[in-house]
Amino acid sequence: MIFPILKRLFMAVPVLLIVASLTFLLVRIVPGGPFDSEKSLPPEIVANLNAKYHLDKPVHEQYVLYIGRLCRGDLGVSYKYVNRTVNDILFDAFPVSCQLGFVALVLAVAFGVPLGAIAALGRGGRQDFLAMFVSTLGVSVPGFVIGAGLIYIFAIQLKLLPVGLWESPWHVILPAVTLAFSPGAYLARLTRASVLEIVEKDWVRTARSKGLSYQATVLRHILRNSLIPVVTVLGPLTAIVITGSFVVEYIYAIPGMGRFFITAVMNRDYDLILGTTLVFALLLVIANTFVDVAYQLLDPRMRMNAED
Amino acid sequence: MTLFVLFICTCFIQGGCAEELSHLRKPYEDGVLRINLGTEPPGLDWHTSTDSTSFDVVSNLMVGLTQYTNELEAKPACAASWEVLDGGKRYLFHLRRDVFWTDGKPVTAYDFEFAWRRLLAPETAAQYAFFLYDIVGARAFNTGASKDVNTVGLKALDPYTFEVKLAKPAAYFIYLTAFCPSFPQRKDIVERYKDRWTEPENLVTNGPFKLSYWQHEYKIELTANEKFFEGAPKLKRIKMFMVPEASTAFALYENNELDFVDNRSFSTPDVERFRHSPQYKNFPLLRAYYLAFNVSKKPFDNADVRRAFALSIDRKVFPKILRRGERPTSSWIPPALGGGGSDSGLGFNPEEGRRLLARAGYPDGKGFPETKLLYPNREDVRLVVEATQDEIKRNLGVKVELVNQEWKVYLATTRKDPPQMFRDSWGADFPDPETFMNLFTSYNGNNHTRWHSAEYDRLIEAAEGEQDKNKRAELYRRADVMLCREAVPIVPAYLATQNIMVKPWVKGIAINPLDFQFFKTVTVGDTAAGEVSKSP
Repeated sequence: MIFPILKRLFMAVPVLLIVASLTFLLVRIVPGGPFDSEKSLPPEIVANLNAKYHLDKPVHEQYVLYIGRLCRGDLGVSYKYVNRTVNDILFDAFPVSCQLGFVALVLAVAFGVPLGAIAALGRGGRQDFLAMFVSTLGVSVPGFVIGAGLIYIFAIQLKLLPVGLWESPWHVILPAVTLAFSPGAYLARLTRASVLEIVEKDWVRTARSKGLSYQATVLRHILRNSLIPVVTVLGPLTAIVITGSFVVEYIYAIPGMGRFFITAVMNRDYDLILGTTLVFALLLVIANTFVDVAYQLLDPRMRMNAED
Repeated sequence: MTLFVLFICTCFIQGGCAEELSHLRKPYEDGVLRINLGTEPPGLDWHTSTDSTSFDVVSNLMVGLTQYTNELEAKPACAASWEVLDGGKRYLFHLRRDVFWTDGKPVTAYDFEFAWRRLLAPETAAQYAFFLYDIVGARAFNTGASKDVNTVGLKALDPYTFEVKLAKPAAYFIYLTAFCPSFPQRKDIVERYKDRWTEPENLVTNGPFKLSYWQHEYKIELTANEKFFEGAPKLKRIKMFMVPEASTAFALYENNELDFVDNRSFSTPDVERFRHSPQYKNFPLLRAYYLAFNVSKKPFDNADVRRAFALSIDRKVFPKILRRGERPTSSWIPPALGGGGSDSGLGFNPEEGRRLLARAGYPDGKGFPETKLLYPNREDVRLVVEATQDEIKRNLGVKVELVNQEWKVYLATTRKDPPQMFRDSWGADFPDPETFMNLFTSYNGNNHTRWHSAEYDRLIEAAEGEQDKNKRAELYRRADVMLCREAVPIVPAYLATQNIMVKPWVKGIAINPLDFQFFKTVTVGDTAAGEVSKSP
C-alpha cells in the first residue's frame, strides 16, 4: 500500500509545477503591481524596488529564478511585509488555520454525518424536515452572517464567549462553529442522499431478512457503505478547511493563513500568492491520497493496485 | 472523536481558561492600554515602511532629531538645537547627550549619518528615500548615478554634531526630521541581524516604548522604556491587536477588551450610535479628497467646463452621506496649514456653473460628450461619487457614467490613462502646505491630471525656498487660487476626520492632524471621566 501512496505523492510534483507556472503567469497579467500605492513613487525609487526583487528582469528570467528557488524549498519574499519571507509567513499562519480547521472539521463530521443519517432514516418525517432545514440554512447562509450572528448572541448579549482574538481555547469555539457550519451542512445533505440510496439496496433487505437487528444493519451495512461519497468530498474539504477561511479569520481576528488568499492578491504580493496557492494545492493532493487509502478501508473491492 | 476530546483538553490546559474568563470580566488592567492597529504593520524598519500602521508603532518606539508639537511645529528631540546657515542651505544639528538606545548606548550623530545614508542607498530600496532629495547629491546617490556616499551632503562632524547641506533652501526641511523615515538607526544592529533586525529580540530603539513582543498578524506589545530621555512613560504596556474587521473591533471595545478605537474600528452605523457619547470625539485630519479632471481629454481641456463642474457640486452633501464629521472644502490647502483660504476655491454656484457651461458650448448640458468618472471599489467612495454624479446631473444637466475598479487596477489606470474624471485623495506627510501644493507641479509623479503650468511650478519653487513666513504663505495662496479657482484641474471636496472612542479609564490620548498617535502621556487606570487632549 505504501508504494502507490508514494507514487501518488510523486505525481504531485508535476501538478505543483503546473499550478506554480499558471499562477506565476496569471498574477503578472493582472494590472497593477506590488509597489503601486496612493502616492506614486519617483521612477528612480520604483527602479530600486524592482531591482531589489528582480522584477526588472524579463518575465521568463523571473520564472526561471522562481522555479529555481522553489526547488530549494524557498517560496520567495513578501513585497508587502518587508523583511519577511513567504516561508516565514506561512510557517506562522498555517498552524493557526490548521488548528482551527481541524476543530471545525471534527465538528462538521460529528454533527453533519449523524444529522444526514437521522434525516434519511426518518425520511419524510419531522426529523428529516428539521435536519434538512438546519442543513439548508448552513449551506445557504454565508459565513459572515453566521459569524456576526454568533458574536452578537454569545459574545455581546450573553457574554459567554469572547468576541474574537486568538488567546485561549474559549476563543476557538465561535470561529470553529462558524467554519464548521457550511461543510457540516453539506456533509449532512450528502450523507442523507447516500443513506437513502443504500437503504434501497437488495443486500440491506437480505441483511434484515436473515435476522440482523435494525441498529446493526444501520451501523454495519448502511452507514459504512454510505460513507464512501462522504469520504470522497472529505479530501478536498479538509484541504479547504485547514488552509483557513478569509471570512472567519477576518471577523474573529485570527492570525491564520486564510486571509492571505485574498489580501495577497489585493496587494499583488506575487510570491505570497504563489506560496498560498502551492500550499493549498499540495494539501489537496495529500488529502486526496488519504481519501484513496480510506476507500480501501471502507470497501475492500476498491483496491489501489500498483498499476494505478 | 477521541482525538478531538484530547485536543480540546490539551488546549484548555495550555490556555488557562479560567484566567481568561476572569480577564473578560475585568474592565481594564492598570497601566495597560489595549488598542487596535487593524492590520499587521508591513514592517517596523522605518526606512522601508510607508504606511500609517507601521508608523503608529514606530512613532512610539523612536524619536528623531525633532518631534511634533500640538501646533504642528517641530520641537527639539534628539537634537537639543539647530542652526540654519547659508540662507537655509545648511543645517547644523546639536544633539543631546542624554538620549540613549534601549541597550544603553548613546544616540550619536553617527547613528543619523548611517541611517540617512542607508535610507538613500539604492539597495535599501526605500520608498521614502525621495524625502531626502533636497540634500546635496542625495538623488544622484539614490539613483545610482553616483556611487560615492561621501558626495551626499550629510556628515557627523563629531558624536554630537550632525551637518546637512541642502541643494536649495527648503523651508519645510525641519519637518522631515520629525518623520519616521529620518529616525536614526544603529549600524551594528542592522548589519548584524540583517533582515531580522526589527524583531523584538534584536531591535534597539530610543523612544518612550520598546518592542517586547510581536506575533505577526495578531499582536504587538510595547513596554515602557525606563531610560527614555523625557522620563519613563506612564503606561507599563501597550497591547496593539490587529483586528481587521471594524465591527469585531468595535464589539471588542464595547466588551471592554479594547480601551481605545479609531476609524479603523469604527463603522458608520457605530459613529451614528455613539455620536453623543462622552467617549466619542472627532478630529480633522490633514487628508483631503478631491475630484480630478484629465485635462488632456475633451471637453475637460476647456477650463470653463472644469470651472462649471466645480461650481455645480455642493460640498456640504459629503458630510451628510459619509456622516463622520468630514469638513467640506473648496480650497486645496487645509485651513490648519495656513496659506489657503476659504475664498481661494470655487464654492457652490450652479447658476454661474450653467453660464460657464453654456459659454463652453453646452447650454443646459446639451451635446455634452459621454463622460466617465473613475473610482476605486470602496463603499464610502461609491457614496461620494454617486452624490457627485447626482449634483452634476441636477445642476448642469450632464450625465456622468461611474466606473469602478479594484484598488490596484484603479491606481494603474490613473497613472497610465485616466478617464475624463476620477476621484483621488492625498494625506500630508508633514505639516506644511508644500506637501499638498507640490502634488500638482508638472514634475510630480502623483499629478495624474495632465495639467502642467510653468507659472504654478514657479510659484511652488519660490515658496519652497522662501524663508519669510508671510511671503511664503502668500505664494502658496496665489498657487491655491490658480489651482482651485482659475485653472481648476481638481475640485477639492472634503477633509477627512479621525473618529475615536476612549474608555473613561484612559486619559491623555493624543490626536494629531497628521494622524500619528503618541501614547507617551497616556494613563490607564484612573476612573475619572474620559479625557481627550489635543496635544501629543
